[in-house]
Amino acid sequence: MRFFTATVLGLLVPSLAAASNLSSATQLAVPADFKPPQVFKNTNLVRNTNLEKGYVRETINVVVENIDKQSQSDYYIPFPVDVFDRVGGFEVRDKKSTDEGRFEVDITEPVSSSGTQYFVVHLAEPLAPKAQITLGISYSVLKSLTPRPAVIQQNEKQYLTYSFSAYVPSAYQTVTQKTKLKFPSTDVPDFTETSGLKTGADPERKGATYTYGPYETAKVAPGTEQPITVRYQFTNPVITASLLERDLEVSHWGGNLATEERYWVRNNASELANQFSRVEWTFASYQKAPTSAVREIAYPLLPGSVDPYFIDDIGNVSTSRYRPGNGKTAANLELKPRYPIFGGWNYSFKVGWNNDLSQFLRKVAGGDSYILRVPFLQGPKMNEGLQYERVVIRVILPEGAHNVRYETVEGANSNGLPGANQINASLSSFKTYMDTLGRTTLTLEVDSLTDEARNAELLVTYDHTLMDTLRKPLTIFGGLLTVFVATWFIGSIDTTIKKR
Amino acid sequence: MAKSSLDLLLKGSSGQNTRGLLRIVILLTIAAAAVASRLFSVIRFESIIHEFDPWFNFRATKYLVENGFYSFWDWFDDRTWHPLGRVTGGTLYPGLMVTSGVIYHILRFLTIPVDIRNVCVLLAPGFSGLTALAMYLLTCEMSTSPSAGLLAAAFMGITPGYISRSVAGSYDNEAIAIFLLVFTFYLWIKAVKNGSIMWGALAALFYGYMVSAWGGYVFITNLIPLHVFVLLCMGRYSSRTYIAYTTWYALGTLGSMQIPFVGFLPIRNSDHMAALGVFGLLQLVAFAEFVRGFLPGKQFQKLLTSMVLLTFGLGFAGLVLLTVSGVIAPWSGRFYSLWDTGYAKIHIPIIASVSEHQPTAWPAFFFDLNFLIWLFPAGVFLCFQKLKDEHVFVIIYAVLSSYFAGVMVRLMLTLTPVVCVAAALALSAVLDHFLVLSKPSPESQAKANAVDAKSYQGMKSPIVGIYSHFSKAFVSGSMTLYLLIFVAHCTWVTSNAYSSPSVVLASRAPDGSQMIIDDYREAYYWLRQNTPDNAKIMSWWDYGYQIGGMADRPTLVDNNTWNNTHIATVGKAMSSREEVSYPILRQHDVDYVLVVFGGLLGYSGDDLNKFLWMVRIAEGIWPDEVKERDFFTARGEYRVDEEATPTMKNSLMYKMSYYNYQSLFPSGQAVDRVRGVRLPAESPQLNTLEEAFTSENWIIRIFKVKDLDNLGREHSNAVAFDKGLKRKRASKERALAF
Repeated sequence: MRFFTATVLGLLVPSLAAASNLSSATQLAVPADFKPPQVFKNTNLVRNTNLEKGYVRETINVVVENIDKQSQSDYYIPFPVDVFDRVGGFEVRDKKSTDEGRFEVDITEPVSSSGTQYFVVHLAEPLAPKAQITLGISYSVLKSLTPRPAVIQQNEKQYLTYSFSAYVPSAYQTVTQKTKLKFPSTDVPDFTETSGLKTGADPERKGATYTYGPYETAKVAPGTEQPITVRYQFTNPVITASLLERDLEVSHWGGNLATEERYWVRNNASELANQFSRVEWTFASYQKAPTSAVREIAYPLLPGSVDPYFIDDIGNVSTSRYRPGNGKTAANLELKPRYPIFGGWNYSFKVGWNNDLSQFLRKVAGGDSYILRVPFLQGPKMNEGLQYERVVIRVILPEGAHNVRYETVEGANSNGLPGANQINASLSSFKTYMDTLGRTTLTLEVDSLTDEARNAELLVTYDHTLMDTLRKPLTIFGGLLTVFVATWFIGSIDTTIKKR
Repeated sequence: MAKSSLDLLLKGSSGQNTRGLLRIVILLTIAAAAVASRLFSVIRFESIIHEFDPWFNFRATKYLVENGFYSFWDWFDDRTWHPLGRVTGGTLYPGLMVTSGVIYHILRFLTIPVDIRNVCVLLAPGFSGLTALAMYLLTCEMSTSPSAGLLAAAFMGITPGYISRSVAGSYDNEAIAIFLLVFTFYLWIKAVKNGSIMWGALAALFYGYMVSAWGGYVFITNLIPLHVFVLLCMGRYSSRTYIAYTTWYALGTLGSMQIPFVGFLPIRNSDHMAALGVFGLLQLVAFAEFVRGFLPGKQFQKLLTSMVLLTFGLGFAGLVLLTVSGVIAPWSGRFYSLWDTGYAKIHIPIIASVSEHQPTAWPAFFFDLNFLIWLFPAGVFLCFQKLKDEHVFVIIYAVLSSYFAGVMVRLMLTLTPVVCVAAALALSAVLDHFLVLSKPSPESQAKANAVDAKSYQGMKSPIVGIYSHFSKAFVSGSMTLYLLIFVAHCTWVTSNAYSSPSVVLASRAPDGSQMIIDDYREAYYWLRQNTPDNAKIMSWWDYGYQIGGMADRPTLVDNNTWNNTHIATVGKAMSSREEVSYPILRQHDVDYVLVVFGGLLGYSGDDLNKFLWMVRIAEGIWPDEVKERDFFTARGEYRVDEEATPTMKNSLMYKMSYYNYQSLFPSGQAVDRVRGVRLPAESPQLNTLEEAFTSENWIIRIFKVKDLDNLGREHSNAVAFDKGLKRKRASKERALAF
């Protein structure tokens, strides 16, 4: 049946027009001994490092001055090659006018001579000589926290270490700079105390905030490192999703938006020194003691979400709970994994639910165009944060949808996503429920995200005509007709040997 | 007026159509009811594969779907029976997996996104709907009454005896085999009645399918020849029988030999010799019939007698010779245990240890068949009254399967179809007489008398009619009541006894809400996610298939039980002291040991309750090293508390079950809720294993086998040394605290 209808109807259908704004991430080619031209100077730089979650969140505010004779628009930001891949949600804005959105950012190839790789920020307008601009750079670094000791007893406190350079890596001269560290608690047993970099105690400690600097570094060559290591208590899980596959399936006929997410989760916390002891865990659970194991995952859903499910490879996880919201308030899915996920343990699962499509889909007046506005990422909401090494989002549009475009919604604040040119987008076809052509599927792939992208939204526009809507009923009608006619025909053939 | 229009609808050719349509609607409703009543477990729990064997079938189906038919055919599975492996493709009945594979691929071809798990879960209910239809066809061959077929279909659809093996998720060979059994019988009856090669060939085709699906095909292999043999003995030889049987035997045997697991058994195994013998006998009889046409009676008698004697002598001698020389395999142990229920217990404990191989308890018949069980003899009696070829079949079937059902619980399954047929015959006879409102009219009486007067035969059976409305109402009313009770009973039994997945346990929370106890999957999923892909898991064989299916880890032994010695090795490791067990574990590359412990929850199906079987099976191979007697106290009691024998207390199973259990309770108060005893205050010490995972309710406990000690010490010394250090450290801390 499929072949039959595919050949007949295939002729009637406009081919999937390649949408115009689908791109894949590319790297700018640079020579092997590339060095950014020294055309800028950082007059003042403040770095805020937030260690309250399972990943490192940094925001750098830097006043940049053009010291060249010509206007310049490309500002380079270096990272070591091994760190570069773990930098997520990189975004640069003009601090004075954040509403205007982010600057366009490219990435270069790794520069083998210096072992660094650069983000290239293209300023919206070239910076005139002697002019200044304040850049707000924000990003998170995944998997940069190491538990020390690496193995602990089941009920022990967990400590993480973080190593960085007191001098912020920059491609340019920096006049003054300082780094503020925000710890989750005041329990910081070990931290590097510098000597000779500045007068007075370094770092300055105030509650859970430690400040390194300010340093006068006008004379220091760019790229100089001052290694600092801090070790602080973080008796929480370090949840890492090595892969998240998120499917959003749009059904015009059913008026339904079905979401399914498949997680491959690992806890990167300290591993157990001995094996798991159920007795200790039972007692600790009664006392609600803090632990580095994942006990429960809170997963808020949009209002109006129905039919949630939480399953893994071997069936329903009966320990989950669903609290439906009352229309306005968010519904809440409380997922309890089959077993507590201790450091070094894995868990993979699926969650899914349905939503009424009318909340998300709008038809453009007087045309066959539709606009779909859906959350880019939903994911659990946890105090300790959640990092995604790789996220693959598939938006499965109705059969025959064409002229597909997408964009992410930008607000005044960071939405946790990298620039559009670091999102791999592609179109494909996905066959299900008696499709003949397959449904147009927009696939977006992003590496290194954190749960900060939870609020990001995705806009997808596409065209869908009446013929596309009617294709399936016609196909099924044609198929059944074929079956009936064939049955009648075969039934009417006389196969008897002897004459009756 | 209304009556006449109803007459118009029910009589004449349009009436036939109406009745035909009505019948189709009723049959479809019955099929729907059959499917629906099997969905309790899906609605109450989830779409999940049940119990033990289905997990293997499910795993094999997934393998088939993923790797294609040919690699499934050649499948050597190195993840079971470590380190031996299993030639899975050649040692299973592939019919079930291929059926669901085909269904899966058809649905996929229509691009219907269905999960293979759901195909497997719903296969049994789907096929039981078909069984009801096949039962209708079979019973319609037995009776002219239109109600008998429909009643039989309805009985077959909902009787617990069949539901017990075909609820949703019970993805076992029986799921499709019973349909094939009934349908093959239907085709066979058709073939015998019509003497048609086509029906005989169709019967052979479905027999071949049956062979590919279930080991119980031997039942057909013996029942059909027996039917023919009895017909011959009754002097009912006819060319119809000859055509039907020879077609069926020749094609069916060829078909059955295509299954690798069966292979040459049909010509080399004693179980199949009856069919071959009857085939030969039928040729002789046919020849004799042929010769009789040409010879005068006296000579023919002589020839016949001498020929029969000669053939029998030759045949028997040949059979004995071939059996002794080993060409024909002697009867298998399972077969002997069918005749002597005590046989397995003495000679093959592994068969006896399976609960479904136990003799059936009497209440089970009523439990599984309800009022059908007392209608059954009546139906068989009615068959004697008519005694056509097909009724002979029902009688033989009834006698044989009644015996087998009494011997083994699981053979209740083969009894159920014939009970449904017979009961439907009886009930339809009753209803046909009592449900007719009009009295026998004088004219028909007179006509009947006129017929009587003519024939002598008629005098023996005078026309009997029921005249009293009261007796009509009473009998049909009570029958209706029985039918209603039957439905209620079936629903109750299905819902309460047969719809538990046994992987997931249900209990009630104090507030009445359902509480799911999901320890099995918790532990299996932990194994699946957090152990190396080729970590070998040792457990008692009951859990082998589940570990393979859910945890996806290699196992030492599983429910296939093809190698008794290997199972005995596991039994020995479980029942011996650590010093004996540890080398066994090392030799078999065991990484984790899994035990089931129900002491905390009161879950009685745990390993300590099965422990004696492990001991017995191990004793069968190593009578000097493992002795069942040592596990009983001097007074012959099986105890786990303070009074337990030293052998018991030192056995690995005992230690693993109770390891660290005491620390859940205040000192000296540890209680085993299954065996209802207070345990010793001291927890057993494990030297060579360490606890790796224990599920939430302690049902599954997983222990990691320690590697050899780094310093080359005995594990017991190393543990003692560590203990000593700890004790010193503890005292130091106390000193500091002071």
